[in-house]
Amino acid sequence: MRPRRAALFPFLCLLGVPALRAQQAPADGQWTMPGKDYAATRYSALGAITPANAPRLVPVWSFATGVLGGHEGQPLVVDNTMYVVTPYPNVLYAFDLTREGYPLKWKYRPEVNPSAVGTACCDAINRGAFYAEGKIVYNLLDGHTVAVDAATGRELWKTQVADLGQGETTPMAPFVVKHHVFVGPSGGEFGIHGWLKALDLETGRVVWTAYSEGPDSDVMAKPGVFRPFYDKGTDLGLSTWPPDVWRRAGVPVWGWLSYDPALDLIYYGTGNAAPYNPEQRAGDNKWASSVLARRPEDGALVWAYQFTPHENWDFDANAEMILADLTIGGRPRQVLVHFDKNGFAYTIDRRTGEVLVAAPFTTLNWATRVDLASGRPVVDSSKLTGASRGNIKDICPSLEGGKSPASPAAYSPRTGWFYTATNNLCMDYQASRSTHIAGTPYIGANTPYHAGPGGYMGAFIAWDAARGRKVWEIREPYPVWSGSVVTAGGVVFYGTLDGWFKAADATTGRLLWKFKVGSGVVGAPITYRGADGKQYVAVYAGIGGDWFLLSGDVRSDDPADIRPPADFMPDIARHTSQGGMVWIFALP
Amino acid sequence: MDLRAAVAALAVLACNRPQTATSTPGGPPAVRNDAIVSAGGQAPPATTLTNPFAGDRESVPQGEGTFAAMNCDGCHGIGATGWVGPSLVDGRWRYGGADGAVFHSIYYGRPRGMPAFGGVLSEQAIWKIVTYLRAQPVPGDVPTESWVSTRP
Repeated sequence: MRPRRAALFPFLCLLGVPALRAQQAPADGQWTMPGKDYAATRYSALGAITPANAPRLVPVWSFATGVLGGHEGQPLVVDNTMYVVTPYPNVLYAFDLTREGYPLKWKYRPEVNPSAVGTACCDAINRGAFYAEGKIVYNLLDGHTVAVDAATGRELWKTQVADLGQGETTPMAPFVVKHHVFVGPSGGEFGIHGWLKALDLETGRVVWTAYSEGPDSDVMAKPGVFRPFYDKGTDLGLSTWPPDVWRRAGVPVWGWLSYDPALDLIYYGTGNAAPYNPEQRAGDNKWASSVLARRPEDGALVWAYQFTPHENWDFDANAEMILADLTIGGRPRQVLVHFDKNGFAYTIDRRTGEVLVAAPFTTLNWATRVDLASGRPVVDSSKLTGASRGNIKDICPSLEGGKSPASPAAYSPRTGWFYTATNNLCMDYQASRSTHIAGTPYIGANTPYHAGPGGYMGAFIAWDAARGRKVWEIREPYPVWSGSVVTAGGVVFYGTLDGWFKAADATTGRLLWKFKVGSGVVGAPITYRGADGKQYVAVYAGIGGDWFLLSGDVRSDDPADIRPPADFMPDIARHTSQGGMVWIFALP
Repeated sequence: MDLRAAVAALAVLACNRPQTATSTPGGPPAVRNDAIVSAGGQAPPATTLTNPFAGDRESVPQGEGTFAAMNCDGCHGIGATGWVGPSLVDGRWRYGGADGAVFHSIYYGRPRGMPAFGGVLSEQAIWKIVTYLRAQPVPGDVPTESWVSTRP
C-alpha cells in the first residue's frame, strides 16, 4: 500500500528518453484498440490530469453491465461513442458520449453457446474489441469472431474460428492490421492445437492459419524467411516434442498483439504446453511459451524466441509485447518489452529476436538468470516438476505468473519506464499423469499457492527496461490483476482485487488518489477526451478471471461455494464481491 | 496407482465403445453421443433412477478413480472441491443432489459446459462416480461469516 522506492533516479529518465517513433500516436483523444496503439503502449498523450490535480478526481458516470464475472479488457472510445463488451453472454454496448447520462445508441446481443462457459478454463471473460474501418470486431466466447457496424450496431459478418468440442474458446481481443483480423484460441488446459488465424476484415473469411507447434508447414516457417536468433533448424515445432504429442499440446494464443509498421511484423506470445505434467512431453516443446514475429500479410514466421524451454510450471507467454525505442548500453535499440509469467522481464531486439536484457521483476527461484549468449534460462533443477518427482515445494512465481498476461502493462515515452501489475505468489506443484479426452481438461497438476517473501501478494511497479531494474513499487495486500494506463500528464492508473481504483505519480510512485469501485478490478483502464474536451478515465470493475477458479465468497451467486484453493487469502470477501460496472472519472 | 491405471485403462476401453448406447430395462433411455460434447441442456427424462451401488463402499474408490481418469477433476477440482466447475462436495447442487439427479447431470450433461458422458462411460461407471461423490463428507452449512472478533 505504501510506495517503496527500490531505486529512484528521476534524472536518469532524461538521459534515457527514447526516440519516439512507432509508439507516438497523435493525441486524438480516442482509444480505438486494446493497447491504445500498435506498439501496445497504453500511453495517452492527454495531459489535463496531473499529479497536482489527480487527488480531485471524482466519478462522473457508471453503468451496470448486468453480468457477473471477470470484467477483463477495456472499453473503446471512437467518435464520441464508448463501446463495451461484457463477459459471456458478450453483449456489445454503444454509449453516446455527447448526451447527458451517456444513453445507449444501441446494443448488440449475439447468440453465444452457453456450453462455452464451462469450456473456458478461467471464467467466461472477454478481453475487448478492436475498431477498424467503421467496424467493431470482437470474439464471442464460443469460438466466433463478429464484426458489427460501429454506427448502427448491425452485424456485418460472423465467422466460426474455434472448435468448442476440442476445448477451444475465444475470450481474446482481436487485432487488426490493414485488411486482416488476427484471432487465437484459449485452451491450453484442454490439449488443443494452438493457432493464430487471419480473417479478411471485409468478409470474415479465414485467410490463413498459423499453428504454434508442428511441422514447419503448419508453423509457417519458410526457408529463407524464418531467421531466429538462437534456435536454428527446420521443423523445430516437430522435433522438440515426442511423436504426435504436438497434435494435442496446447500452446494457445489468447493474449495481446502488437505491430511494427516499419518492420511490417506482428508480435504475440504463446501459452503453455499441455499437459502440465512435463514428463508427458520431453523436449523443448517449441513454440510453447514463446514470442513469435510474423508477417501480417501471409503469416510467415520471421523469428521466434522461447522464454521457457520445456516449460514445467504453466508459464504462458501470452503477455503483451510492448514496442519501444530505448537506449541500451549507449546504443539506440528497437525493442519489445515483455513481462513473462516466469518472472523475468525481457527486453528484446524486435528486428532479430536477440535478448538484450532479462531480469527478475518479482520473486523468482525456478531459475538463477537468463544466459544472454544462448537465450536460455539457467534452471534450478530442484524446481523441476513431473509426476515422478512428487510434490515440488515453493516454486516462485506461481502459475498465476509474476504478472498475469491478462493485466497489460503500459509504457511512458516521457519517463522511459514501464508500469505493470505484479504478483508475489509462490506455489507447490504436484504433477500427475493426465489422459487426453477431447473437450475435457488435460492438466495433471495440483498447485496450491502461498504468498511470497514479505507476506504481501502483489505490487504495482515501474520498470526500467533498458537496465532491467525496478524503479519504484507500491505494495498491495492482494495479487494485482488489473491493466494500467499512463499519461502525458505523468499519472498512472491501476486497480486492485479488493476493489480500489488508484492513481499514482508516474515518476515517484506516490499514491495520489483512490476510489472504491464496488468489485475487484481485473480490467485495464483507459483515458480519452470527451465530447466536451475534458479528459476522462474509464475502467471496469468486476472481479473474476483466474480469481473465479480460486474464490469462494466472492461468488455471490453461489455464496456457500467456499473453495480450498483460495485459503491463501481467505479474507478477500471482506472487501469485495462480484459485480460488473463501467466507471468514468474526471476532474470536477 | 495400480487401481488408477486400471481404471484409466477401463475408461479408455469405455471410450472405444460404440458411440450409441442402448436402453436397458429399468435404466435410462438411450442417448446419442457422436463425441464428448455438451448435451445443450436436454431435459432429463421423467423417470426415477435407482443407484445400484448406493452405499457400496467398494464402489467409492472405483468412482474416485474414474473421476480422475476422465478429467472430471480438471473442471471440478481435485477432490471435487470446485475449480471452473462447481464443488460437488459442499452439499449444494444446481441440478438436484439425489443420486438419480447427479446421474442425469453426468449422463446427459448440463448446459453451461458439462459434457454428456452417457454413451462414453457405462451406466455402471457413472453410478460409481455418483456413489463416490455422495460418500464425501459435507461440511456443515454456517450461514454467517464474520470478521469481527466477538471476544472482548
